[in-house]
Amino acid sequence: MRTPIAYFVMLSGVLFALGTVGVLIRRNALLIFMSVELQLNAVNLSLIAFSRMHNELDGQILAFFSMVVAAAEVVVGLAIIVAIYRRRQSVNVDDARELRW
Amino acid sequence: MVGALAPSEATGSLPLLWLVPSLPLAGAAVNLFVGRRLGKAAGWLATALVAASFAVAVVVVLDLLAIGTEERLYVQHLFDWITVGAFEVGADLRLDALSSTMILVVTGVGSLIHLYSIGYMAHDARSARFFAYLNLFVFFMLVLVLGANYLVLYLGWEGVGLCSYLLIGFWYEKTENANAAKKAFVTTRIGDTAMMVGLAFIVWKFGTLDFEAVFGSAGAQLTEAAATGIALLLLGGAIGKSAQIPLQVWLPDAMAGPTPVSALIHAATMVTAGVYLVVRSAPLFELSDIALPIVLVIGLVTMLVAGTAALGQTDIKRVLAYSTVSQLGYMFLAAGMRAYAAAMFMLVAHAFYKALMFLGSGSVIHGMHDEQDMRRMGGLLRRMPVTGWTFIVGAIALAGVPPLAGFFAKDQLLEIANHTGRPVVWILGTIGALLSALYIGRLVFLTFFGSARTEQAEHAHESPSVMTVPLVILAIGAIGAGFVLNSTAEGRIAHYLEPVVGEVPHGDGLPVWVLGTIGSTVAIVGLVLAWLVYASGKVDRAAFEERLEPLPRTLRNGWYWDDAYAKLLVVPGKAAARVTAFVVDAKWVDGLVNGVGRGVGGLAQVGRLLQTGFVRSYALVFLVGAVALLAWIGVRL
Amino acid sequence: MPLDNLVFWVFAPISVASAIGMIVMRNAVHAALFLVVNFFCIAVMYLLLDAPFLFAVQIIVYAGAIMVLVLFVIMLLGVARGDDLRERLIAQRPLAVLLALAFVAEIFVAVRAGIGFSTKAPDGFDAVNEGGNTQALGEVLFRDYFLPFEITSILLIIAAIAATVLAQRRARPITQAEIEQRRSPSTDRGAAVDEQIEVREVPR
Repeated sequence: MRTPIAYFVMLSGVLFALGTVGVLIRRNALLIFMSVELQLNAVNLSLIAFSRMHNELDGQILAFFSMVVAAAEVVVGLAIIVAIYRRRQSVNVDDARELRW
Repeated sequence: MVGALAPSEATGSLPLLWLVPSLPLAGAAVNLFVGRRLGKAAGWLATALVAASFAVAVVVVLDLLAIGTEERLYVQHLFDWITVGAFEVGADLRLDALSSTMILVVTGVGSLIHLYSIGYMAHDARSARFFAYLNLFVFFMLVLVLGANYLVLYLGWEGVGLCSYLLIGFWYEKTENANAAKKAFVTTRIGDTAMMVGLAFIVWKFGTLDFEAVFGSAGAQLTEAAATGIALLLLGGAIGKSAQIPLQVWLPDAMAGPTPVSALIHAATMVTAGVYLVVRSAPLFELSDIALPIVLVIGLVTMLVAGTAALGQTDIKRVLAYSTVSQLGYMFLAAGMRAYAAAMFMLVAHAFYKALMFLGSGSVIHGMHDEQDMRRMGGLLRRMPVTGWTFIVGAIALAGVPPLAGFFAKDQLLEIANHTGRPVVWILGTIGALLSALYIGRLVFLTFFGSARTEQAEHAHESPSVMTVPLVILAIGAIGAGFVLNSTAEGRIAHYLEPVVGEVPHGDGLPVWVLGTIGSTVAIVGLVLAWLVYASGKVDRAAFEERLEPLPRTLRNGWYWDDAYAKLLVVPGKAAARVTAFVVDAKWVDGLVNGVGRGVGGLAQVGRLLQTGFVRSYALVFLVGAVALLAWIGVRL
Repeated sequence: MPLDNLVFWVFAPISVASAIGMIVMRNAVHAALFLVVNFFCIAVMYLLLDAPFLFAVQIIVYAGAIMVLVLFVIMLLGVARGDDLRERLIAQRPLAVLLALAFVAEIFVAVRAGIGFSTKAPDGFDAVNEGGNTQALGEVLFRDYFLPFEITSILLIIAAIAATVLAQRRARPITQAEIEQRRSPSTDRGAAVDEQIEVREVPR
């Protein structure tokens, strides 16, 4: 493969930054969630790129575990969002402002 | 000057010395803890223990006398008290001529007063506590005089101050008694602090507080200035404890305590501790040029001020209180003239007749159902014969009529004054003798002679024998002490004390018999004058005193010393306290503390605005932090 | 141009564009679909990096399971409409974009100082992938990473249980007061309560 590994890492960085912007800008909890998934994916990409660079499989294993845990996290997170929606009839994170001065 | 015997060489019963203070201490402990259950036995137990202590003291002193005069010293080391580096203080008792005199007086007069108290405090619910305090006092006084170093002396010094406070304020239910106790303690505290500084000075210069070590090397170690400093500081303590000018204000008020207390503490023993201290520290005082002259002046001034004040009192006990102050002035006067033996003899004689008169006054008050104003008495001699006659014996002794003890004491003193070229002292001392005759005559004639001026005086009765027996014994002492101890300036007691206090100063002046005659005449003239005004009926007493106004009122108020102190010290003190409490503490300190609290609260008020409640704001802050951290790492790469 | 380069330069822009699309879209479902596109592109990247197993897993798990789940929830809750346009936090959007750009710049600096932009993938990865990527991964997983594997499986069980518990619609236990209320609706509960409370003046 002729593409320099650095390009993959830069791509990963850009995607991560975009995910962060998404977390900060969106108000819908589900959309924030999806932005977090984007961030996770960016990191996975970076891991696999470095794994290729070092000629080892450890990075891929790590990315694999990351996917598994992300799946579990999505399950629990969505369950929480559903429970919150039942209570408040809203998934807008700006509406959950009680813990303030 | 003297050699010490090591304890192993001690002969006979000298090692029993420690029993002398311990027996009263045991009595105090028993009475403090189980006294309430003992009931009447508490008083008898206390008296028995002090009497036993007296017996042991007699035995021990006899053994001391068996030793030759050059080696008449016994030091008993009880235990190591303080050992810090090179500084050591042992719990040591010292028996020499001076301390043996004192312990005999303390235990002897003390046991008589204990006996008297059984009757006097018979109706008091807390009598067991009273006897405990009295025993405790005797213990501390013995520690004071038996101490072989300044620290043991100081322990006793503070202890007697404590017991004095406890006993003056014994009937604390009345606020004025508690106030008198406080006043006594605070006033003597001023002196005690000076004394403590003096002790520190001694440690600094000598590295030890032991009498032998200090007095032995005093000449070599001290400059004249240092000796003056130490002497004056110790003198401060003595002034406080012996109620000399300017710290004499507590003694008249201390009469709020029960009469046995006044007799024991404020006549015979505690107040004499100051004299004892000066006499004991004589080697230090003599190294200074001005210390002894100052002692003399203070004694002289006190004698005159208190003597005149005694003339204006209406309370029987206050007359005796001012008289005590005046007589102590005499003793200081003697010490100031380096006539230490004369001072000590006066101490012993005074113990007898003053204790006698105080106990007698207690008997009078008892018989008058707690009336203390002399103007309401009169004609009590007929109704209380034993009290009356013993009191008269004491009064004659005080006035200085020969051949009673008081005459010999005053006579020697005036003789030394005259012979050592101090004419002013001699004249003023003679005037002082006249004053004492006048005030004591006034007391006797107002109280015991004439006709009864009130109902109470009509129905006064004699006291029980447990109270009158001690009076008789003390009267015998007042009569005989002069003959036994010191009929001349170089009599037995002077010789006895010589190894410790040095020779009696001599000189030339008027012949001894002339001085003696002048002294006796003055005493008799004073008594006659008092009789004229107060008992003969030839002079209208009330009109006489009125014509002298404002003098009587000034005298009754003690030359307004208390009022002066109130204006000069108490008022500024209270103002300072008020400023400290309400400005410094309430405004500044509290303000600072509260200000810190307010500041923190203010900061928190500002800080809490960060908690907006928006999760996205927090996430933004995270990102800011992360970017900053990465930037920092990036810069360092 | 070599094939892998071409593939990279086609799919990388697409993935970036779809990511931007996801974060910008008003409608939640549209955003989710953009994200699925992004996942596909990343899967292709994996393929480029000689990780075929993960390419498959990415599509199956992420695009196939996770995004389906998310879309289910969006539909279930009916929140497809998305947020309104107005941003109430001050400077949130500009700051977010700014910081993200700063972040990318920092990554750039780090990469340039680290591996450099010319390092290519070394040869010899085929030796690592001996017997196929799946077999190789399996060997490493069950040999060197056995413990994390077991723990992760426990984690999955916990997640399943947690989701079940959290999403339950629980019946609120009926209180005694309500039973009383139903029995005798005329009783004034308030007065009975007031009688039991005694108001006393506390001395100062």
